Amino acid sequence: MLDALKDIVRKSSIHVCLVNSGGCNGCDIEVVALLSPRYDLEQYGIYVHNNPREADVILVTGAVTEQWKENLRRIYTKAPEPKVVVALGNCPISGDVFNQEGSSVNAPVSDFIPVDAELSGCPPRPSEILEAILAVAPGAIAAKGRQKK
Amino acid sequence: MILPLGPIHPGLKEPLRLKLKTQGEKVISAEIDYGYVHRGIERIMEGKTWQKAIYLAERVCGICSYIHTQTFAETFEKISGEQAPLRAQYLRVLTNELDRIQSHLLANSTFFKAIEHETLFMYMLALREPVMDAIELLTGNRVNMGWNVVGGVRMDAKDIHLQQIMEIMIKLEAGYDRYVEMYEQGPLVGLRSKKVGRMSKEDAIKGRAVGPIGRGSGLKHDLREDHHTYRDHLDFKVIWRKEGDNFARNMNRFDEIPQSISLIKQVIENIPKGDTRNKVEIGKGYGEWRNEAPRGEVTYMIETNGNLINNVSIRTPSIMNIDSCARYMLNDVATVSDAIATYASVDPCIACAERVIVANEKGEEKHYQGIFDIK
Ligand code: SF4
Repeated sequence: MLDALKDIVRKSSIHVCLVNSGGCNGCDIEVVALLSPRYDLEQYGIYVHNNPREADVILVTGAVTEQWKENLRRIYTKAPEPKVVVALGNCPISGDVFNQEGSSVNAPVSDFIPVDAELSGCPPRPSEILEAILAVAPGAIAAKGRQKK
Repeated sequence: MILPLGPIHPGLKEPLRLKLKTQGEKVISAEIDYGYVHRGIERIMEGKTWQKAIYLAERVCGICSYIHTQTFAETFEKISGEQAPLRAQYLRVLTNELDRIQSHLLANSTFFKAIEHETLFMYMLALREPVMDAIELLTGNRVNMGWNVVGGVRMDAKDIHLQQIMEIMIKLEAGYDRYVEMYEQGPLVGLRSKKVGRMSKEDAIKGRAVGPIGRGSGLKHDLREDHHTYRDHLDFKVIWRKEGDNFARNMNRFDEIPQSISLIKQVIENIPKGDTRNKVEIGKGYGEWRNEAPRGEVTYMIETNGNLINNVSIRTPSIMNIDSCARYMLNDVATVSDAIATYASVDPCIACAERVIVANEKGEEKHYQGIFDIK
């Protein structure tokens, strides 16, 4: 009973924290574009506020630069359970064009924090980002919430 | 009290650490700490052919990605002494101005978000989407377009697409004045932006401010004036203002948008027929080229041996603008929330700004360019 209630509540209010761990910014502005009236993210109950302490979903973009190696883990632990990590764009999955000899990136993100879903594209289209969050977040959050008990 | 902000914080859209020293509500000093998005792009470019390096140039910054490839390509064209065909030059102007419109709208929307004016924030984003559509129509992608190659542009534009872009521009222009008026006349937005974060012309010169930030403080400087396509074929005048406050910087961006629309119209009406790509023989040499990005001046300095890139150095506008923000503008703000609004009015782009690491000989102690104090 309580679980079912929690599932409903979690489904309809997803708080998102966007973490740019060293990319070109392209993925981040596509997330900003999602806020625009055309896509209207908030009608799905998703709220982007960049505050890790209140986040249900952490969207990671970028290829993990030197400075982020430790901080990424720290931000991850700050977010309350249950949480879902979505890797957005080619950068956190493979390092994209930056992952070559001589660079200072340490992709993939999954070396540092557990990743629940990956979405490729450089950058992915806003509609794809929206679809990804909606496809993975409510179910995964509910399942993780039960697991913990 | 010391108030640390970031690297991830609701008020910032890119990772950056701000340490504000405050006394009550007043900010007395600010320290900015970079290095969160340093990827080492110049280092990766070394020893690559231009075909590989141009993709890296595009990913220096996602918001003004277009101008980076254009400057990169024009640097190589300068080394080889050949220009792109005229049709390609016109198409470059077209894409550049579309990119400028979307970037300026995004910059102003961030400012409105920082002063908590949600309505204008949403209006700006709503205006921006059709422009993104226009970019997608022309180049096939929204953000990283891959539109330039050395010697021209990747493909030709169809007439029907140009016509559709024209329609989008006419629609954008028709509704545009209403939003500018909302900003210009709005009493509450005025309180948060007029006479806040002022920077005088002398300080702007000392801080090397460029782009709309410098022009808002009275520096009449726009590199499009000197660019051969704009100079020889198009009607273009520099827009600038005197006040030097947050209001002037935003209004300058607002005023540049109709001008970009007019440039796009001129391009679509007068675009000549012909090739869009020259075959360019790249010789050995060193070249330097500067262009006006939405945020100011972008410089590429490239040394090549004819095939591979030996050395490259990129200078982006954001670093100078953030510098002048921290040194001069933040001296003039009363509260912490004004400090954040002033910072947003500078339209900082951190991904651009991360260009240098300073390390000691053994490579132990690293710090990133641009850590400084204001006093
Ligand atoms: S995936 Fe592409 S668009 Fe996204 S941050 Fe990386 S380089 Fe930029």
